[in-house]
Amino acid sequence: MREFNVLVVDDEDEFRELTVKRLEKRGLKTLGAASGKEALEILEHSHTDVVLLDVKMPGMDGIETLRQIRIMKPLVEVVLLTGHASVDSGIEGMKLGAFDYLMKPIELEPLLDKLSDAYEKKRLHQEKIEQAQMKRHMAMPG
Amino acid sequence: METKNYYSVIWLRLTGVFCFLIIVPMVILALVTISNLRDSAVNKIELSLGRLIDHKKEVVDLFLSGKEDLLTMLVGMYPIDYLGRQENLNALFRSVNQQGSIVDLHVIDSSGRQLAYVGPYASSITGKSYHDAQWFQEVLIKGRHVSDVFLGFRNVPHFVVAVTDPLKTYVLRATINSETFNNLLLSSLIGQNGDSFIVNRAGEFQTPSRQGFKQLGVRDRQYLVHHEGTAIEKDIENITATRWVKDGQWCIYVKTRIEDSLGPYYMTRNKVLTTIAATTLVFIVLTVLMASYFLRRLESYDRRRAELGHQMGQMEKMATVGRLAAGIAHEINNPLQMITNQAGWIGELLPDEDPALVRNLDEYQKSIEQIKHHVRRAGTITHRLLGFSRKISAEKQSVQLNDLIEEALSFVEREASYNNIIIVRNFREDLPTTMTDGPQLQQVFLNLINNAIDAVGQGGSLEISTAVDSQGRLVVEFADNGPGIKPENIKQIFDPFFTTKEPGKGTGLGLYISYDIVQKLGGTIQVTNRQSGGAVFTIVLPVIAMG
Repeated sequence: MREFNVLVVDDEDEFRELTVKRLEKRGLKTLGAASGKEALEILEHSHTDVVLLDVKMPGMDGIETLRQIRIMKPLVEVVLLTGHASVDSGIEGMKLGAFDYLMKPIELEPLLDKLSDAYEKKRLHQEKIEQAQMKRHMAMPG
Repeated sequence: METKNYYSVIWLRLTGVFCFLIIVPMVILALVTISNLRDSAVNKIELSLGRLIDHKKEVVDLFLSGKEDLLTMLVGMYPIDYLGRQENLNALFRSVNQQGSIVDLHVIDSSGRQLAYVGPYASSITGKSYHDAQWFQEVLIKGRHVSDVFLGFRNVPHFVVAVTDPLKTYVLRATINSETFNNLLLSSLIGQNGDSFIVNRAGEFQTPSRQGFKQLGVRDRQYLVHHEGTAIEKDIENITATRWVKDGQWCIYVKTRIEDSLGPYYMTRNKVLTTIAATTLVFIVLTVLMASYFLRRLESYDRRRAELGHQMGQMEKMATVGRLAAGIAHEINNPLQMITNQAGWIGELLPDEDPALVRNLDEYQKSIEQIKHHVRRAGTITHRLLGFSRKISAEKQSVQLNDLIEEALSFVEREASYNNIIIVRNFREDLPTTMTDGPQLQQVFLNLINNAIDAVGQGGSLEISTAVDSQGRLVVEFADNGPGIKPENIKQIFDPFFTTKEPGKGTGLGLYISYDIVQKLGGTIQVTNRQSGGAVFTIVLPVIAMG
């Protein structure tokens, strides 16, 4: 599995810390953020490929955070995680450009798969951009 | 039974009030009309009685004055010398008494000595002197006299008319048979129980009472007061007219029983009563019909309202239950997530241990797998509850329900045929298509078909029909011939976790989810028991046109 950077955003410490630990163990570079605000700060300063984002959080909620992320880092893929029957918020999240949404409880394997898929998408996307840039460079004379 | 009673009480009250409102004015109308009719009938009797007595008075006067005039004429025509002779008087008597009303004739000189007599009592009267008789004196003074009626020597009622000549040289006296006189008073107008007679001032009968009275009644005596013209008195039973005749010496009574003369009145009254009764009856029949009609309307209105209330209640309950279930599921999902996380973490760390030191490594790993398995189970339930597995897809497609059912049947047909279950398709060929969520709807159909197959068991049958109702909606019916649904269960059959299957065989979510899906697609789902046994699930869906 390729190595990529994940940011886990959840207000529940136990879940966040354990998930970070487990993803680290699987060889992913993982950071945790307890709130949307914190997540945005981390995104600003460090390289992140995929964000695992809890929808329901105190303060800035998942949807709002997602919106901010899309503005700040449009290339970063976001996977939403919800414990609620928020089919509507799931749909809304997808409309806002989330990669997918998952429902608790979810085991690590399917979570990893989803995160990998998200990363793959990001990577392909990035590659396309790079190729386009290269084409532009090559087209430029001298 | 109680509501039946409730309606019949209303019906009774309604009919009662209406009937009361009809009958009371009708009775008043009848009473007033009858009373007026009777009054006018009695008035008519009074009038005709008055006319009758006037006429009788004239007849009596005419009769009396006729006799008087005859005698006056005779005394004027013949001097005493002539009439004083017996043979002359005899001849005269024969010539004037052709009618036979004159019984006898006396000729008396001014001193009271009888000169001649012709009549049946000659032997007892001849030679008698009337000098001291009161009537004789009166004749000499007044010139004439008409006596009261008295019974003569032979017990025959008669009265006397006596006149004198202008020079008062003699008196001519005639005894008049009052039988003739009596007949003058007869009249059919008086009626069977009526009476007509003449009394004198003392109240003694001058003509016999036709009812055979010998004495004047107490009430009649009260009328015996002198008055001018005709007096009409009325009591409960009788109308009595009185009129004085013969210079106030005699009083004519004409009396009629009111009842006897009311024949025409009774006829009119009966006609009026019949008409009023018939009208009342018609009104009452109309009222009863109206009340019944009104009540039927009320009953069906109430029933509709109750049905609607029941439906609303069911929807409200389902919404509440749904919210509750979603809330619980959410609260459970978070701990489930932690359990699976922690178990997974242990599972990941275990291989790092020295296998020599961990004796039961296999057991631990098996246990972890079991924990994960049970979390998955619980998660499946909460996910289904939360509708996670049924995202309403944003894009709806045009769906032909017949095809959808056919597709659902293809999943179960094999199992059904193993159990010899007959599936009857009763599809309407030209069923319109509708824009809806096909996969969701198919899940509903599959749920219902599976339930039916479970219910009918070996050799049962399931009939699926599609139709369009009067309002243009799509109707799908799943009718099985299983045991049906117990009445106590029918209210909660759509509740989440309600199941009649053995523990572990069903989650009790199938119908709940079906209900939820149909509701979200704008339709309704209902269940009833068939009379022939078995249950019918009916889904009604709107037809949504494309676009």
